[in-house]
Amino acid sequence: MDLGLLAAQVFNGLVYSSILFLVSSGLTLIYGIMNVLNLAHGSLYMLGAYLGITVVVYALGGTPLAYLVAFLVVPPAVGLVGAVLERTLIRRTYPMGEEYQLLLTFGLILVFDDLVKMIWGAAYINFPDPNSFLGGLRFGVYTLPLYHVILILLGFSVFFGLWAFFGRTFTGKVMRAAAMDREVVEAMGIDVNRVFVSSFFLGSLLSGLGGISAGPLYTASPGMGTDIIVYSFAVIVIGGMGSIGGAMAGSLIVGVLRSLAISFYPQLEIVIVFVIMAAVLLVKPTGLFGRPEFERR
Amino acid sequence: MTGSGARKERDGEQKPKQGHEQEVSAGTIALAVGILLLLLVPLAGKHMTHLVASALLLALAATSFNLLFGYTGLLSFGHALFWGVGGYTVAVMMARFGFGYVESVLAALVMSAVVGAAIGFLCVRHTRIYFAILTLAFGQMFYGIAVKWDFLGGSDGIYGLPRPFNSLELYYYVVLASVLVSLYVLRVVTRSSLGLSFMAVRDNAFRAEFLGIRVKVTRLQSFVISAVFTGLAGALWVLLETAIGPESMFWTHSAEFVFVTLLGGPSVFLGPLVGSFIYAFLADAAMSLTEYWLFVIGAVLIGIVLFFPHGVLGYTLERLGSRRGAVDGDGR
Repeated sequence: MDLGLLAAQVFNGLVYSSILFLVSSGLTLIYGIMNVLNLAHGSLYMLGAYLGITVVVYALGGTPLAYLVAFLVVPPAVGLVGAVLERTLIRRTYPMGEEYQLLLTFGLILVFDDLVKMIWGAAYINFPDPNSFLGGLRFGVYTLPLYHVILILLGFSVFFGLWAFFGRTFTGKVMRAAAMDREVVEAMGIDVNRVFVSSFFLGSLLSGLGGISAGPLYTASPGMGTDIIVYSFAVIVIGGMGSIGGAMAGSLIVGVLRSLAISFYPQLEIVIVFVIMAAVLLVKPTGLFGRPEFERR
Repeated sequence: MTGSGARKERDGEQKPKQGHEQEVSAGTIALAVGILLLLLVPLAGKHMTHLVASALLLALAATSFNLLFGYTGLLSFGHALFWGVGGYTVAVMMARFGFGYVESVLAALVMSAVVGAAIGFLCVRHTRIYFAILTLAFGQMFYGIAVKWDFLGGSDGIYGLPRPFNSLELYYYVVLASVLVSLYVLRVVTRSSLGLSFMAVRDNAFRAEFLGIRVKVTRLQSFVISAVFTGLAGALWVLLETAIGPESMFWTHSAEFVFVTLLGGPSVFLGPLVGSFIYAFLADAAMSLTEYWLFVIGAVLIGIVLFFPHGVLGYTLERLGSRRGAVDGDGR
């Protein structure tokens, strides 16, 4: 096994892990706080990529500044879409069973997929390569593309940011409290509905951030949402549903293993992720870092 | 008190019984008309014949899915895997080993049962969302195998199979007969003591266990029966399409079974059948009108969840004031 190739694949895997983490941390956050498994979470990721290409290319002509603007504008916009979906549609399924939540959000996937085709067309859309103006970092004989390095750092920064947000800030603590006991939080005089909208906003924002980050690497295509959502499921199941740390661990496992499989055992690329996922569910259904209270309900 | 009380009791007993008989006869007439119409379908042209045959196979798969979902309370999000196992078995037997379609379909049934037993054995340890995600994982695993394994044709799948009798019309009657017989068998199963134990496990697994029902074994029985009939639907579908590809096992196809079941109503035995026909014709109409037909399907799905959570047939029966007994599936 060539060590250089191995290192390169681990590096690529870390980039993919980072994207996976951005998407699945949002998914697990919404599940952890509200017990809603949002299948359309992948569609918000796709929306992030398409809004990204719109801002970067169609609005601002592909300049380096355009990328900066897009990274600042697109994720909150996607977050807003998520918040609106929660208010208007998803909220109405809370009294029904979880299968109805899955179905409603599956309906949203179909709607989003076709909306994207209507607006942007069915063909794959390429972003201008951000590494063309960012350049690379030299390590001896190897040059690491800077955009990829930034994405890895972004993934870890968001992880620490979320950790600080839920551990240190009042809003973060309220959200965690709402996850544990809605009624007590309500009795403390806190508007739980606002907590729900906020967590949907934050979770969707993260998915949108994942989408715009992934766009320049993997192009934007109408099927990207249905692909990423099953991988995100695998991630949060492996790490433990509702756990941010678990999402990070799961993303690293899935991202790196998938990347290694692609270059060394290409037949296993898709299978390996779901084998691990099924194995974790069978051996330890709460995942590596999940807390048992999430299964009890 | 003695005489009149006894009579009253008997009257009280008889009244719902009369209603029941009336309902059965109305239902029987509807069923007879339906079957008659199905027999006449090939007169309406090739497109209609193909459409109805697809709807019938979807209906068989969805009804089998609903045995697990509506009757046993387990939501499988990977059921397309059995459709694919049945379909790929037929395709491989015919294209790779040169068997005839009868042996191939029989082999598909055996394969579906074996795979269903193995996966079911692992899945029935969990319920609710964990069961759904676990079945999703297995479904994607099989999808991943089909995409990457050259023996199964990779992402192109296997195509160019011969259709039985070389005639769509004759094959249509094979499909119709197989689906009707299978639905009858499934109906008998749901009416049997086994079917009652499915429902007991669904309603209260804890209590069912105290009644001597072995909960996991019961769930597994439901899982395997469901897998076999879904596999049969997939096997017959391959011969209709004369091709199969890995997307038949992608998770969105599994979601389609869930969709048509809820569209028709999981609490009624024929709900999935009604849902399948509505879906097939709606999709056909939407497809001829716009290339964005999935948008229409998605919007309908959202509307169904918000406004008719018991499905179209469930809603109609509720509206007709049918007794609760007619609604013997989910009923939530």
